Amino acid sequence: MHVCTKIAGVLFVFGLLFVSTQAGDEEAARKFEQPILISSAGQSADMKLIGMLAKKQKLDAKAVNMAQVSDLDGIKTLIIVPGFSSKGLGAAGVSQKEEMERVEKLVAAAQEKKIPIVMIHIGGNARRKGQSDAFNKLTAEVAERMIVVQQGDEDGFFSEIAREKKIPITLVEKIAEVATPLGELF
Amino acid sequence: MQKHHITAIIILMVFGVMGALAASDFLALMKPDVLHPAATLTRTGWLSEYFDTIKDTGGDTRIYYFDSGEPGATVLLLGGTHPNEPAAFVAATVVLENIKVTRGRVLVMPQACASGFTCTDPFEAYPQFYTIEGKSGPRKFRFGSRVSSPLDQWPDPLVYSHYPSGQQLSGFETRNLNRSYPGRPDGTFSEQVAYAIVQLIKQENVDVAFDLHEAAPEIPIINAIVYHEKCEEVALSAVLNLEMEGMRYSPELSPANFHGLSHREWGDNTQVLPFLMETSNIIQGRLRGRTNVALILEGNSIRYREALESGALRIDYDPNGQPLEMRVGRHIQGFIEILNAYNEYYEDNMVLIGNLPTYPEIMEKGIGHYLN
Repeated sequence: MHVCTKIAGVLFVFGLLFVSTQAGDEEAARKFEQPILISSAGQSADMKLIGMLAKKQKLDAKAVNMAQVSDLDGIKTLIIVPGFSSKGLGAAGVSQKEEMERVEKLVAAAQEKKIPIVMIHIGGNARRKGQSDAFNKLTAEVAERMIVVQQGDEDGFFSEIAREKKIPITLVEKIAEVATPLGELF
Repeated sequence: MQKHHITAIIILMVFGVMGALAASDFLALMKPDVLHPAATLTRTGWLSEYFDTIKDTGGDTRIYYFDSGEPGATVLLLGGTHPNEPAAFVAATVVLENIKVTRGRVLVMPQACASGFTCTDPFEAYPQFYTIEGKSGPRKFRFGSRVSSPLDQWPDPLVYSHYPSGQQLSGFETRNLNRSYPGRPDGTFSEQVAYAIVQLIKQENVDVAFDLHEAAPEIPIINAIVYHEKCEEVALSAVLNLEMEGMRYSPELSPANFHGLSHREWGDNTQVLPFLMETSNIIQGRLRGRTNVALILEGNSIRYREALESGALRIDYDPNGQPLEMRVGRHIQGFIEILNAYNEYYEDNMVLIGNLPTYPEIMEKGIGHYLN
């Protein structure tokens, strides 16, 4: 192979890498719009904590644990906080199956309306595996951004989905540390 | 005397000795646990002061009052709602043997279901006692039953219908104090005890109340704070503060349609802000294996570890176990942080407490260091 061709080839590869990195950085730095709808997937009260952190960040957000498709009217970003809670399902008066159907409808409607979805998982081990992972998987796979408290990703569950689907993910140590990356999204 | 008469007498004597030994074991559980309240104690009372029908019954139980004399919130702390959940009773005991209140009042009822401390659950092979080395020597405590003694309430119906909701549960739950709230004066033994506790909350104008519990590792509600919707901000603030101290708690909203429980009925029927806390108690677990005192104190099970290593365990389980120190420490730290969060939201009606060991202190020095 001619030297010039090799150099051109190397430059091309570097060029591709550069463009890809730029695109990744741009994706990670992407700003989302307000108002925000925060909802649960699995009815854990973790959603309320994210509502509290959003309030502290002075975001224009409303937290509705049983958000329906109609709640998406006028919404520019949907934040879903997944995690199964039997007490939460009891409080909401729905079964696990009904909750899954609600979340599926909400996600489908958001996608149809081109409302970006951000997934925030803060429940750690307590909201992993068992009955939680079906909600975690569903919402992680459709998210455009993920923020995850590290304890919930010890087995790489969310990181792997992020890698496969090319979704920017931010891992934080503690729930309170979610506030900064959450604020930076907007 | 014929040969078969002699055989019959020997058999009768063997059964007589076995019966005497069993009776002695059983009667040993009737002896109350000895507690040594802190010097700051202002009064000791009885639950029957709020509903005298339970006086001189197995349902009456001691209440320890710590009154600062300064105006502020009144706090009620219940341990021993389920006497087979020892961290709840021991945490309340550590509180009552150490606390100093400088504003408001704290009332401690370490054995809410006093009747349940007089027996153990059939077919569970639970030990009757466990011992913790305290500052002044060994402290022996009773390990009781989840529910009231059948000697106090019998028989169980096939289906328990909760008053007043009509919610139906298994018959066994009819003796469960934490399925009997708000109770009624002419109800079952457990309903009368529950009624007395609700009267206490009302008559003492209790502002914040705690009901401490433990649960099997496979129960989804462990390491959790369950709260009534009217105290959501306090609960969530406490969860965040606890996490900053490295302790994870799941916030769990009390279901409005699950009746009989303290976090629901106290909140619905009285002015109080109720909180229920849970830790993970391996001796209640179905996979626990050999059931002994070590399981209570060390909170570690070979069977659960094996299940974890095999990949069959689908729950969050720490292979190092959850010793009693850890569980008691979590309850006490949770109690402190919920009250700190309460003070942030109710600045004009604060309660100030001190001299309680923190979670790291209990983990470092052990529970016995804080038992008088």
